[in-house]
Amino acid sequence: MQYPLRKAFHGLLLVLGVTFISFVLMVWFGPDQTYTLLGKNATAEQIAEVRHELGYDQPFLRRYLDYVADLFTLRLGASNASGEQVSRILARTAPVSLALMLPGFVLGNLMGIALGLAAARRRGQWTDRLISGLSVTGMSISFLVIIIALQVLLSTPYGLNLFPVRGWQVTDLPSYLWHVTVPTLSLVLVTLGYNTRFYRAVFVEEASRDHIRTARAFGASPAVLMWKHVLKNSLVPIITRVMFSIPLVVISGSLLIESYFGIPGVGKVAFDAITSGDQPVLKAVVGLTAVAFVLIQIATDLLYRLVDPRVA
Amino acid sequence: MEPEGRIWRRLREDRAGLAGLAVVSLFLMLALAVWLGLIGQDWSIAAGGRWEPPSPQHWFGTNILGQDIFQRAVYSVRTAFEVGLVVAVLSTLLGALLGALAGWYSHGWPDGAILWLMGVLDSIPFYLFVAAVAYALQGQPWAMHVAMIATFWTGTSRLVRAEVMKLKTREFVMAARTIGLPDLLILGRHVLPNTVHILLVQASIAFVAAIKTEVILSFLGLGVQDGVSWGLMLAESTQEVLAGHFNNFLAASLMLFVLLMSFNLLADALQDAFDPTFDPKQAAQ
Repeated sequence: MQYPLRKAFHGLLLVLGVTFISFVLMVWFGPDQTYTLLGKNATAEQIAEVRHELGYDQPFLRRYLDYVADLFTLRLGASNASGEQVSRILARTAPVSLALMLPGFVLGNLMGIALGLAAARRRGQWTDRLISGLSVTGMSISFLVIIIALQVLLSTPYGLNLFPVRGWQVTDLPSYLWHVTVPTLSLVLVTLGYNTRFYRAVFVEEASRDHIRTARAFGASPAVLMWKHVLKNSLVPIITRVMFSIPLVVISGSLLIESYFGIPGVGKVAFDAITSGDQPVLKAVVGLTAVAFVLIQIATDLLYRLVDPRVA
Repeated sequence: MEPEGRIWRRLREDRAGLAGLAVVSLFLMLALAVWLGLIGQDWSIAAGGRWEPPSPQHWFGTNILGQDIFQRAVYSVRTAFEVGLVVAVLSTLLGALLGALAGWYSHGWPDGAILWLMGVLDSIPFYLFVAAVAYALQGQPWAMHVAMIATFWTGTSRLVRAEVMKLKTREFVMAARTIGLPDLLILGRHVLPNTVHILLVQASIAFVAAIKTEVILSFLGLGVQDGVSWGLMLAESTQEVLAGHFNNFLAASLMLFVLLMSFNLLADALQDAFDPTFDPKQAAQ
């Protein structure tokens, strides 16, 4: 089969898997929604009607197919808590999450690549040891601890008191920067240790290859070696790292950062749905993010081909 | 596999790793002492006033409810080891088992099925997966463990699969096959024991990941249900720090940091000691 076609087929199987798991966990095994939707003293007919609407009288396979069809046509239903359409909630909150998480995600990776290059270039020297030691230290600090510490140090009278403690009133660029700084710093600090360590290992591996030795023998300067030969040939692991950290860093990170700082993004919506057991919201967020990530993986596979002609 | 003597010698020469091992052992003894009921038993009693400063009665002061922070921080060592050990052992075993099956029958249907399952599990954002599991299990205290085990095994499994695919072509496996030993016996007796170096390192990584994850999950309300943990203490402290009371936050985050750092150093030392290509002299240059 052709490469893109094979990847698309592979992605389709993954989509079936992630939707199946979220269906089984949240719809099939999930709590009965009948009495959440009905008031007290419902008649037997009302109960039967709601159960029919929810599909509780349908067989397993039929309900799963309905779930997938609803997910792909974005008929996500209304939130139990607010009654608002889930698709509208997501359309409102997704841009906030993106604006919140993107700077930290990009900076965390760029700084990780820069530090990894610096360490790999002076492998075994004190620069390398310092950077590697700090990476392990960073990996040993909990996300929650970093958020709390930065909030105290930067946003309260006990520290510098420069930024808002919580909230998200963004109207223009200065207010955006004012609100986004502390969350961005948290995200960078939390990911930097892992990123630096990973990128350093990639660069050290690449720098020990024969073609690097040959280039050095031909008199390439250390800077040219690092930029042109090592960095360029490490693009495949870099792309993999960036793409595959999206669900962990961006989605899980937004869950924690938004619920902690009270920022109205998808993460906060998911957090509220978790705490209140709001099934329509929860199943939409889980299903859609998993499907989106499968699409990202397909895109990654196609990107490999652009940077590495050997991939087939 | 490296001769065991050389591995021990390398471990003994790794000072950071040894320090890590010493601190981890100290924490383990604390956990055992809590288990045996020797210390940390008064973690839930509100024995003092709200936010008392450190004193001979309350070494780290008291929290918002007047509970002793030292008792809570020490009892949490047991919680951390419970979560860490259960998740590390079970997820590593599961990863070894499925990874070995996939590697042994590589490019057959068991391999395809296991690879597909790993791809699926890796595609669902982790905290949302935990939320979904917790939702399905409806507040079961084990929901957190189940979710971590169900996702953490994939990393181990990929490494074991690759290693088994390599081992499968080695002479001693061929020999075992030639004399007609059943597949499962060869796998269990001859192949899996040769992946122990991967399993040890992966288990220590899973231990660290489980404790870190517990903190986040407890803050999100999906973690420890009965008892106390550093995650629950940190969740409490989010209200306290805004009022200027840092004892709860400092106690939980410092103990958490020391344990995680020691375990990370130990895991690094294990990895270096088992790595046949790693040359300590070259790394020190």
